[in-house]
Amino acid sequence: MSDTRRHPISRRTFLRGVGAVTAVGAATAVGLRVRSAREDHPWDASAFPPPADARVAALRASSYDADLEAVVLAGLRAIEADVSGARILLKPNFVEFDAGSAINTDPRLIAAAVGAFRRLGAATVVVGEAPGHRRDTRYVVEASGLAEALRDVQAPFVDMNVSAAALVALHSHYTGLGSLWLPTAVTEADVVVSMPKMKTHHWAGVTLSLKNCFGCLPGRVYGWPKNVLHWQGIERSILDIAGAVRPSYAIVDGIVAMEGNGPIDGTPKPAGLVIVGNDPVAVDATTAHIMGFEPDRLPYLAEAGAFLGVADLERISVRGEDPDALVTPFAPAPGFEGIGATAVGGQ
Amino acid sequence: MVASRTLDARLARSKTVDGGYSSVPGAAPEPEATALAAIASGDSDALTWLESAQRADGSFGIDAGSVVSDDTAQVCLALPEGPALERALDHVATVAGANAVGDPGPPPYGWAWTVGAHGWTEPTAWGVLALRKRRPEAEDRIADGLDVLRTQECRAGGWNYGTSESFGVFQPPFAQTTSIALFATNGVDDQLTRHGLDALRSLWRHEATGLLSLAISAAALRFLDDPDADEAASRLDRSIASSDDADTVALAWAAIAVGPGLEILRIP
Repeated sequence: MSDTRRHPISRRTFLRGVGAVTAVGAATAVGLRVRSAREDHPWDASAFPPPADARVAALRASSYDADLEAVVLAGLRAIEADVSGARILLKPNFVEFDAGSAINTDPRLIAAAVGAFRRLGAATVVVGEAPGHRRDTRYVVEASGLAEALRDVQAPFVDMNVSAAALVALHSHYTGLGSLWLPTAVTEADVVVSMPKMKTHHWAGVTLSLKNCFGCLPGRVYGWPKNVLHWQGIERSILDIAGAVRPSYAIVDGIVAMEGNGPIDGTPKPAGLVIVGNDPVAVDATTAHIMGFEPDRLPYLAEAGAFLGVADLERISVRGEDPDALVTPFAPAPGFEGIGATAVGGQ
Repeated sequence: MVASRTLDARLARSKTVDGGYSSVPGAAPEPEATALAAIASGDSDALTWLESAQRADGSFGIDAGSVVSDDTAQVCLALPEGPALERALDHVATVAGANAVGDPGPPPYGWAWTVGAHGWTEPTAWGVLALRKRRPEAEDRIADGLDVLRTQECRAGGWNYGTSESFGVFQPPFAQTTSIALFATNGVDDQLTRHGLDALRSLWRHEATGLLSLAISAAALRFLDDPDADEAASRLDRSIASSDDADTVALAWAAIAVGPGLEILRIP
């Protein structure tokens, strides 16, 4: 592994090094929408080196009955993922469960990812989640079929709402949070893989691999729901939380996605896609583009491109399918009608 | 049936050397897990630990940078009479949820998971229960909390985490949150309780794959002397045996459901 954001040892060292909080001062909350280029950036430059080559592969997968392990493996190989010997945490989206909805990352894709990472030489692959609306994680995991899928591939699950956690100082300061409790399943992983559902979101526009990091934070500290984080400003919180979790890879479940009033009550939308990348910001920007949205019109995503990854579509190395050919406009979430590509120039 | 001592042994795996209880074995002790373990088992070490963990303002919780979690109401139900309890009750009677960022807004307020945030079902239920049981003279705060539960009641009865409607869509209730709310409303609002119990009867079997949902449902059904209580207890017995990775809060609720700890939650 060549870049520091993805190197297992570097990632662990980074998180452990900041594990002991020496000062939790009142961080400066910077107005996301009003920060000008002349203002100091609200992150520690030493903690966020310029992103390296951002590689994204969009792959077609017609249904969950397809050979998804082959799809994910092809994607990981296309982006030159190097996970040999790594301890991997897969973080899907199970904020809550509602049968027949498209809220969750499909368990079959998660099991496929377990197999793909093992075939690439991962030392261990664990799946972890801290549902935001349901205190009873075991119910969500069993009812959704995730538990059965993981039993089939003999992969362990960590309930990050109750598992051991450590206080980690933030190196970005969009909120006044100062530090975050993160599960040791996150801090001790060599590689965190964010596995979101491809969804619209009525407060953030889209919820993809960066927003999915909310589900790493333990409810026993932040509650059900994690309302205090939303009240810090949902976009600011996305930036600080993703900046702390630092996912190394993202695998987006867009086989059956969600449009409209997401992230819970939207309409299932078969998109037949799996999007894989080594830069979660680049993955989210590419996925938003495929959904028919302008990444520049999603303020948190545009801001993430300033320090956390590459949001500029022109700078992303695309492998596999051409995203332009995959664009399938999604109905936006209420209040986000202006983020569509067709809205550029006020049209 | 699972003997209480079996559950005590399972809970003991999460007991720390200083007498507290962690959320899972091997982690650091925390107030909520310790309080529920104390209610479930009567462990005096847990009570000693709780008194040592009280913040200067009388509250209990986990500090996370600028975020301050608040588990004080749960602890109030565990603590014995004394200065620590009185300071904790002072906190519960004083702190309230907010209806806007940085602004309490109009009532009702209830109680929040973290200081200064919105009031949600479970912390509000704990707040109401703690004050009804330990400081019933705090009538205004009890009435406010009950108003929150009325506001957050789902359309067909029962509660989820605290949103009955979102962007024009009615949201469904959950067994776990409905159960904890029933402890708070029982004996003070018969209609709210009846609707909630109807919802729980329709929910608990569907959500019984989760030990926490099943355990707290079994506790609530027994608490309300419901005909489903025996069946829930029987299913709980089987579930405990196959839930080796259960966390402390779920195990504590299981112990409360089948043991004497349930009476600690009962309001005379």
